[in-house]
Amino acid sequence: MRKFIIGLATVALLCSAVNAKTLTVGVASDAGSMDPYAHNETATNSILSNIFDALIAFDKDIKTHPALAVSWTNPEPTVWLMKLREDVKFHNGSAFNADDVIFSFDRVKNWDKSGFKGKVSMIDSVTKIDDYTVKIVTLKPYPILLRKLTYISILDKETLEGKSDQWIGLNPVGTGPYKITSWSKGDHLKLDANLDYWQGLGVYDKVVFKPLSNNATRVAAMLSNAVDIIDRVPVVDVNRIKNNDKLNFFVQPGLRLIYLQMDQDRDKSPYIKSHDGKNPLKDVRVRRALYYGINEDAIVKFIMKGFAKPAAQLSPEAVFGYDPSIKRVEYNPEKAKALLAEAGYPDGFEIVLDSPNNRYINDSQIAQAVASSLAKIGIKVKVNATPKSTFFKETGKLNTSFFLIGWASSDGDASSILDGVVHTHDADKGYGRYNRGRFSSPKADKLIEESAGIMDPKARLKVLQEAQRIALVDEQCFIPLHYQVDIYASNKKVKFEPRTDSRIWAFDIK
Amino acid sequence: MTKYILNRLFHSALVMFTISFIVFFIMFKAGDPVELMLPPDATQQDVIEMRAALGLDKSFIVQYQKFLINASHGNLGNSFIYGQPALDIVFERMPATLELAVIAMLLSIIIGVPLGIISSIKPNSIVSRVIMFFSLAGISVPVFWTGMILVLVFSVILGVLPSSGRGDVFLFTSAFTWDGIKHLIMPVLTLSIFQLALILRLTRTGMMEVLMQDYIKLAAAKGVPRKVIVYYHALKNTLIPLITVIGIQFGQLVAFTIVTETIFAWPGTGKLIIDSIQSLDRPIVVAYLLVISFLFVAINFLVDVLYTFVDPRVRV
Repeated sequence: MRKFIIGLATVALLCSAVNAKTLTVGVASDAGSMDPYAHNETATNSILSNIFDALIAFDKDIKTHPALAVSWTNPEPTVWLMKLREDVKFHNGSAFNADDVIFSFDRVKNWDKSGFKGKVSMIDSVTKIDDYTVKIVTLKPYPILLRKLTYISILDKETLEGKSDQWIGLNPVGTGPYKITSWSKGDHLKLDANLDYWQGLGVYDKVVFKPLSNNATRVAAMLSNAVDIIDRVPVVDVNRIKNNDKLNFFVQPGLRLIYLQMDQDRDKSPYIKSHDGKNPLKDVRVRRALYYGINEDAIVKFIMKGFAKPAAQLSPEAVFGYDPSIKRVEYNPEKAKALLAEAGYPDGFEIVLDSPNNRYINDSQIAQAVASSLAKIGIKVKVNATPKSTFFKETGKLNTSFFLIGWASSDGDASSILDGVVHTHDADKGYGRYNRGRFSSPKADKLIEESAGIMDPKARLKVLQEAQRIALVDEQCFIPLHYQVDIYASNKKVKFEPRTDSRIWAFDIK
Repeated sequence: MTKYILNRLFHSALVMFTISFIVFFIMFKAGDPVELMLPPDATQQDVIEMRAALGLDKSFIVQYQKFLINASHGNLGNSFIYGQPALDIVFERMPATLELAVIAMLLSIIIGVPLGIISSIKPNSIVSRVIMFFSLAGISVPVFWTGMILVLVFSVILGVLPSSGRGDVFLFTSAFTWDGIKHLIMPVLTLSIFQLALILRLTRTGMMEVLMQDYIKLAAAKGVPRKVIVYYHALKNTLIPLITVIGIQFGQLVAFTIVTETIFAWPGTGKLIIDSIQSLDRPIVVAYLLVISFLFVAINFLVDVLYTFVDPRVRV
């Protein structure tokens, strides 16, 4: 009898071991907090998207579709009525309804450490119509509301009311496909499938996220089959992964543009030495000369090893506002020299290019390549590469003349870069916070402000494209370099499709 | 003795106070964590509110004063990034680092001292030469390289040991579970190779020096057995400098496991401190450095006390 029971237990154990499918993901960066409002950055958003839902979700091509909101109407330009899903439960069994939505929007807006205030800044009020309908009123007509809503994870009012920030930072209670079982910061996050998930069940019963921040370590974990998927495969290791017939390899165009900003405001710029003592970058011909004079194809080929896409405009194709008619100019040092001569700088000038050295893929090497490109048209560029903490502090104080920086259009809409970087700096109106070259074009400003209120997508697209054309083509506000791409690897057991928003959503992985 | 201890405690407090000030000042000057925390599309208003929420809108004097008042109550502030008390986070990570350091140190002593003795007795024998060759290699090879080679051989090629992470934990350590031990082997090896070589060489040099001295010759002349001379009379005097070095090295191990922890994705304090410096998470950096300096102070104190037992001449 005893033997029989032991045998039975063994069989049961074996069965459960066989049936419990675990997905292990090696990620370059851990979540900063389990509080979905604490950090608006890709790594945290990616991990937490497995635990929480928002009213609206992005699909893999960064198009919006219903999530906790089933349907919506927009009876007036500033009023949105959202019908909520009725069969949804939080991980602790508590039911989801309009009160949770109102609680969540209140916390995201009013919690003093919220990192998502910018996503709800245009929302005037969220009120309850009935248990499963909420009314969202915006300050102005707000065409990109749905995109912004994808960032607001819905929390459970009953569970969270009265809890401390510390508690919320460790105990995520969401409605998403997976629920937390344990989190050891910097070592692992273990998730179990949420059996009551409103979209049904995914393939994996358990998901483990392992933060492996060192590139070589992450690749070794993939090669030794310790993980099923890794993100951010370093370009130097791409061939090792590609040539391994046990592994799959994925490249996904990302949303981040790497570009150069130039001081276009001050008559004398702190880090430019020119023969007449003036700031040559104020002349559009000089800015255009820089654009012609940078050999971006060489940067992509030699520094990015082919894993980047030369950029012709502010946002990549997946983003609303992309203009297929704008093409990148051909690298043409002769023309660049001619433009410089025309502007009165036939012998170029001296300038310092600031760049972070730990923020973007190969950032300081890109800056070096830009410097050697520009040397050929007579501009002496000295690269000043610093850690991101110093870089962002100094550029924020405008202690720079010329710098390399990146921008991810994470809403999937061109408005973020147009508002944040292209529009004239205006702290009161909340425009141009990252416009650290202080580019200013009243014509573009007018279009950008106008586009914010156009509800018809077609008409809005035209205005966004026109704003970009004026700023980029006519005025050469920046010099676009390239769009980054996301590189992943997985073993052959896993069916994985990368997403445009760079998130790893285990529910879709088979 | 009481006066001596009180004096030492006062000095230690002064050291820690100075360190807190220096670190606080450097982190204050290094940059604005809010700039790194908030997404680029945050508005200027959001930045101002976040600064106020973290108390970063105040002047340096006010911030440091507030830190001192809280610190005197044992509160070193909340991490900007994790939102949890900084000291809790450091202590949460400390066992992982300590277990690496303790096991690596023990291994180095257990293997290093005997090998050092062997190679000192017959310095020109083949065994001694082999030992010395490997100890030279151990001292010269960079930790990063050792770690990566171990991973390449045992994880990628042979597939017998896990390449990263900490295994199952029982009673604060992974040394009590099989899975944990498998995860420990490579990081411990990586960390101990240098220490082992260092201890070995120090033991050898010390022993060779002591064995030349008159009292050893006297003991031999008196007919004391060779074993007693080597393992009792000579070793005891060799231990004095060795203990100092082991003490300092242990502190080093705890404070500088950064490289090893990075290679093996070991969730210890070394990795924590690097991440925190990069994200300008001042409370964690300050808390960590205070804990580490306390550790150094404590080790030094312990070494001094141990000294008095081994060497009666320095007894106070």
